[in-house]
Amino acid sequence: MTALAIAVNLVGTALAGLRWLRVAQREHYLPGSASRFALRWWFGLGPNRLLALAVVVGLAGTAVRPFGAVVAGIAIACGPFGLPLRGKAPGPLAWTRRLRTLAAVWAALQAIIIGIGALAGEPALFAALGAALVPVMVDAACAVTEPVEQRLSLKFVDQAKARLQSVRPTVVAITGSYGKTSTKGYVAHLLAPSTTVVASPRSFNNRAGLARAINENLVPGTEVFVAEMGTYGPGEIAELCQWIEPKIGMITAIGPVHLERFGSEDRIVEAKAEIFAKAEVAVLNVDDDRLRALADRLENEGKRVIRCSAADVASMLEGVDAPPGNVACAVAVALELGVPSEDIKDLVKTLPTAANRLARGEGGGGWTILDDTFNSNPAGAARALDALEAAAGEGKRRIVVTPGMVELGPRQHDENAAFARAAATRATDLVVVGHTNRKALLEGAAGRTAAVRTVDSREQAVAWVREQGLGPGDAVLYENDRPDHYP
Amino acid sequence: MSDPAVIFGGPSPEHDVSILTGLQAAQALGKAGRTVTALYWAKTGDWFSVDPGLEAGAFDGVPHPSGAAPVRFVAATGGGFVTGGRRSRTIEIGAAVNCCHGGPGEDGSLQGALDLAGVRYTGPSQPGAALGMDKLAFGAVVTAAGLPSLPRAPLTAEGAVDFDGPYIVKPRYGGSSIGIDTVADLATARARLGANVHLKAGAVVEPYKPDSFDLNIAVRTWPELQLSAIEKPLRSGSGSEILGYADKYVGGEGMVSAPRELPADIDPALGDRIRAMATRIVELASVRGIARIDFLADGDEIFVNEINTIPGSLAKYLWVEPALGFDRLLVDLLDEAERRPTTHWTTQGADGTALRSAGSIASKLS
Repeated sequence: MTALAIAVNLVGTALAGLRWLRVAQREHYLPGSASRFALRWWFGLGPNRLLALAVVVGLAGTAVRPFGAVVAGIAIACGPFGLPLRGKAPGPLAWTRRLRTLAAVWAALQAIIIGIGALAGEPALFAALGAALVPVMVDAACAVTEPVEQRLSLKFVDQAKARLQSVRPTVVAITGSYGKTSTKGYVAHLLAPSTTVVASPRSFNNRAGLARAINENLVPGTEVFVAEMGTYGPGEIAELCQWIEPKIGMITAIGPVHLERFGSEDRIVEAKAEIFAKAEVAVLNVDDDRLRALADRLENEGKRVIRCSAADVASMLEGVDAPPGNVACAVAVALELGVPSEDIKDLVKTLPTAANRLARGEGGGGWTILDDTFNSNPAGAARALDALEAAAGEGKRRIVVTPGMVELGPRQHDENAAFARAAATRATDLVVVGHTNRKALLEGAAGRTAAVRTVDSREQAVAWVREQGLGPGDAVLYENDRPDHYP
Repeated sequence: MSDPAVIFGGPSPEHDVSILTGLQAAQALGKAGRTVTALYWAKTGDWFSVDPGLEAGAFDGVPHPSGAAPVRFVAATGGGFVTGGRRSRTIEIGAAVNCCHGGPGEDGSLQGALDLAGVRYTGPSQPGAALGMDKLAFGAVVTAAGLPSLPRAPLTAEGAVDFDGPYIVKPRYGGSSIGIDTVADLATARARLGANVHLKAGAVVEPYKPDSFDLNIAVRTWPELQLSAIEKPLRSGSGSEILGYADKYVGGEGMVSAPRELPADIDPALGDRIRAMATRIVELASVRGIARIDFLADGDEIFVNEINTIPGSLAKYLWVEPALGFDRLLVDLLDEAERRPTTHWTTQGADGTALRSAGSIASKLS
């Protein structure tokens, strides 16, 4: 029985390892994230709570009989329900060099637990304990490998520094709680005809990503480099600016994104404002009160500030589906870098709409699909609802499919409830996907006009939409896509 | 005879087309039984040794194909292409087929560096490449030799142009149709200077002749001077004003699949004039390897337009009369590269006389 208990728990450990390593990868290898998500999964849903109970009871019973460890091991191998082994959205587990290192360290830590069990004469108990503690061990492995990873990335950062020194582009650095990537695209679009411009690709917005973007894309002759800078905490952007040295810094917007990592929105503003420390010019979207206050402060400190507002570009944007605040910031950069204003007016007409950011498509029966599945936030979600109303015909179906928004910290419940309230008032149908925000969304939608339904997965939602027999004039908005490591 | 290399890519707007030419050349040489080193010059300026059997897709959207080995290019005596890693060595190259279009691979920069490194290569020498890339200088040489050419003037913010519009605005340096625009008047042409990145290094204007059409001929210089059939490229639609980059390159195999009339259905006397002018230009412009010379026909008139010293697909599709296979063209190019040097450096005359008769350097400064 002891041998069986050990075998079952080794299998359970391996399967749990796959699951939680993937969660760690999705959460940028931040120590603590695997355990945090494990608590959400195991104690969030009814069936998973039962499985968790089986693990606890099994562990407790092992002292009496090794059979308890078998029960615990089976429960760990099977659960938590709903968390895929390898995952699909937004991407499967990718066996990068970093993940392989992490997995090796994690396996060694697990082996130590087993070894202790053997020495203590309790192999079954420790095998089960090890299996139960996989998320904690994954976090420990993250903490152990972090300094090594830092050192490894130094080499690439040094290369990137050398390349910046030799090419010497004017650097435009863009940050913001949302709209960074699309604004970066707008800046590149406005500059491209007249300037050799390179933008950091996709969302390569941290230290390693920007170093890679520079090493791979900063070709000789590049006049302007547009760098997107993301931040998960104070000091990160300051570190990036130490070696990337932007001449123009920009903040597109401030919102409660990643609030659970920052604590407060004031701290978000402070972390983003690091982008101006060395910049000659600060570009700010002053439609936001906090950014207007920041603009005042920077000006008092003697910085050259360009204040941008949606109103500046309203007349240019007729028939262009782009967030005007972001466009205003991009236009300011183009003017600053000498693009003639007549050319800008023409170029604004053909701004690129990034994939998955309120892209418009057509369903089989001639109905409209609005795809806003990437990185949703409260302001973007409100804009998407406007677009849904505009796209649908009079008296036609207006369907909103959403798992709600995540990473909003203490405001997550209220923001999702408020969005559901607006959606259920303006749409005819609201489809709630998954469990993470189900409670908040249902609460917000209660008593409104829309028909509300719940599904477990995006696939189910899509299948339901297909069954509706939609036709011309009907419109469906896919608002945000739940990364599948969220319950 | 050492094994050949094929060089392609390069930090140029025509980087992608160059990859097509390079892979075609590498595979044709492979079929001809040669062992080829494929040297990829990335957009970043870095060099890699890659599998010569790769398809174009392997280069799409990545800094270099997977499996590419970094190589250093050392432009010094005893230099050349040096592999990285612990067992670093210089890659033995009999001669390199230069398949770079536009930018530093076709403007003399690469040629100069290869000369300094002592690597033999196909196509134009450094001075020939630089002249062929400079539309203003090439036009001036042709005009000075008394050959018919359209007036061509530098386009600057202030300078006068002594012929009337409408104009074609072209980058002064650039091998393809990228960056070319038609404009009605000089003010509009000047406005393009700030708005078009391809004109930053310099621009020229020529009179725009809406009814004119292109006639192209290829020349090769080894084993002896030979002229290809004359082609008439066809524009994709009646709406397009000039033969565009898309007409030439987008849609498959590069220049090979572009729409054309070949041989061109023209008056034999016109063909003779074109051949005679092409032969003159080989001398005037120091042509080496395979070049494509483009003419502009307008009514009864014919003008020399431009030279392309490393044409797309090395103009292999033009050799229908006489019919020559790509492998034959490449083998002859390599033979020329090994046997006809690109440099004639000499130190004769630097015999020390000037050094001996000189006083102190300080006395020359006062």
